[in-house]
Amino acid sequence: MATREVISNGNELAALAAKDAGCRFFGGYPITPSSEIMHEMSDLMPEVGGACIQMEDEIAGVAAAIGAGMSGVRTMTATSGPGISLKAENLGLAQMTEVPLVVVNVMRGGPSTGLPTRVSQGDVAQAKNPSHGDYKSITLCAGSLSECYTETVRAFNLADRFMQPVFVLLDETLGHMHGKAMLPTEEEVAAVIVPRKTFEGPAEEYFPYECESDQPAVLNPMFKGYRYHFTGLHHDKRGFPTEEIETCRKLIQRLEDKVELHKDELESYEEFNTDDAEILLVAYGSVSLAAKEAIRHLRAEGIKAGLFRPITLWPSPAEKMKELADRIPKVLCVELNIGQYRDEVQRATGRLDIDGLFKVNGRPISPYEIVNKVKEL
Amino acid sequence: MARTLMRFTGVGGQGVLLAGEIFAAAKIKTGGNGLKTATYTSQVRGGPTVVDITLDDDEIYYPYANDGEINFMLSVAQVSYDQFKRGVQEGGTIVVDPNLVKPSDEDRKKCNIIEIPIITIAKEEVGNVITQSVVALAIANTIMKPLDREVLIETMLSKVPAKVHDVNKVAYDLGEKYANEAMKK
Repeated sequence: MATREVISNGNELAALAAKDAGCRFFGGYPITPSSEIMHEMSDLMPEVGGACIQMEDEIAGVAAAIGAGMSGVRTMTATSGPGISLKAENLGLAQMTEVPLVVVNVMRGGPSTGLPTRVSQGDVAQAKNPSHGDYKSITLCAGSLSECYTETVRAFNLADRFMQPVFVLLDETLGHMHGKAMLPTEEEVAAVIVPRKTFEGPAEEYFPYECESDQPAVLNPMFKGYRYHFTGLHHDKRGFPTEEIETCRKLIQRLEDKVELHKDELESYEEFNTDDAEILLVAYGSVSLAAKEAIRHLRAEGIKAGLFRPITLWPSPAEKMKELADRIPKVLCVELNIGQYRDEVQRATGRLDIDGLFKVNGRPISPYEIVNKVKEL
Repeated sequence: MARTLMRFTGVGGQGVLLAGEIFAAAKIKTGGNGLKTATYTSQVRGGPTVVDITLDDDEIYYPYANDGEINFMLSVAQVSYDQFKRGVQEGGTIVVDPNLVKPSDEDRKKCNIIEIPIITIAKEEVGNVITQSVVALAIANTIMKPLDREVLIETMLSKVPAKVHDVNKVAYDLGEKYANEAMKK
């Protein structure tokens, strides 16, 4: 892979990735620590014939982005946890209507307005179920500056493949840290873009929600002669409301199965020194950077520690986590929340003895805190 | 090169962030790795701000400076100085603006404290207070020597508008001059 070196921060890299991945609309509202994404998009979108609009609030921001997605373009919004709380209802609408959208959440301290300028991973559980009802979240989590770019690109391709919102979780540390990122070239990114499926036949034979039981809706771009309806209500093959028993059951089951039965297309993780590990750290996002540094120190002292870093958080790489936990006696989850992902590790591995090192005061977890905790185990 | 950890502290709005970005970018240009992180409060103007700069030939994972490992700190605000000085290693160097920061006797025993009136230099000798971050940049590099001065100056100039290149070059030279004089004392 040809690569280019870019010196930037995580937020700006996410915006650059969006542009390179073909995003042509951004709707949002500024919020610390994600504001640089919108700022950058306001420069980038007009350069490529796209649009960036600052709406009157978070809700309108995501609504505008969903509208653009309905019309057929690649679209994004960016925010932080409080913004996701406000956008939740519309995110549910996008799940139900199957509108592709990339949502970047640069996590800060919560709940409520929390700690605006401080790092957290408190939105991991929220990303799984931001809105009510049954659907399957697709949530990717960057663990380096380069991944702020590559995971955003992947999110756009997955959004069009699965026809639903895809979350990219960054955190304040990654969003604002400034350094070197090795990125694929623009041409390489363009080469892997797979646009959403469209129906090519006669308009009278087009039914956007009439699809295989494990496949997403086929939403043709607007203004091309294909007519259909969007509603948050349970709907039929044309998108009009219905309460017909089987149609309702099949619709919601399909929203589940289109992701659940194709998890292999979503799975992504990194293993770091796990081959001979006797202690397994599980960490993601910026915390994984501290974990890697901690492993360097631990290994220098002869302690065989390794890291499992999920990159796709939802759906989780459950089988892989089980395989590792079956083999490695001690498992420690390190998170900037009180075990939101440990719950998933426990579920996946069937082990309730998963240890935790958690921090929720807005400060990062240092490598030494991890080293000390590992030595206590 | 061993890892160099530097910390710049001030209050929001003083422009300490830019100096960190310049250091990181200059180190990357020479083929190494550089990372800058900034921590600030939700009080955007006037809240204590800290910028950590990590420079290394090897890969850097954790982007913050660990307490007790910082080789060099520069501070232009008492509130930030008090809050962040514990990060500096014993025998480490701390540069303060003596008009704004008063180190304790204990600090002077623990660290090598150098007093340079950074803000006054920028305001009165350079003639533009905004250049304080470049004065600070020059001081840090002159004392710690993590980078070739020409690479650093070139990187700095690439990050500021062309119309202020000359004034920033003056700021760099003055920072360097004061740092060299202070080290002779």
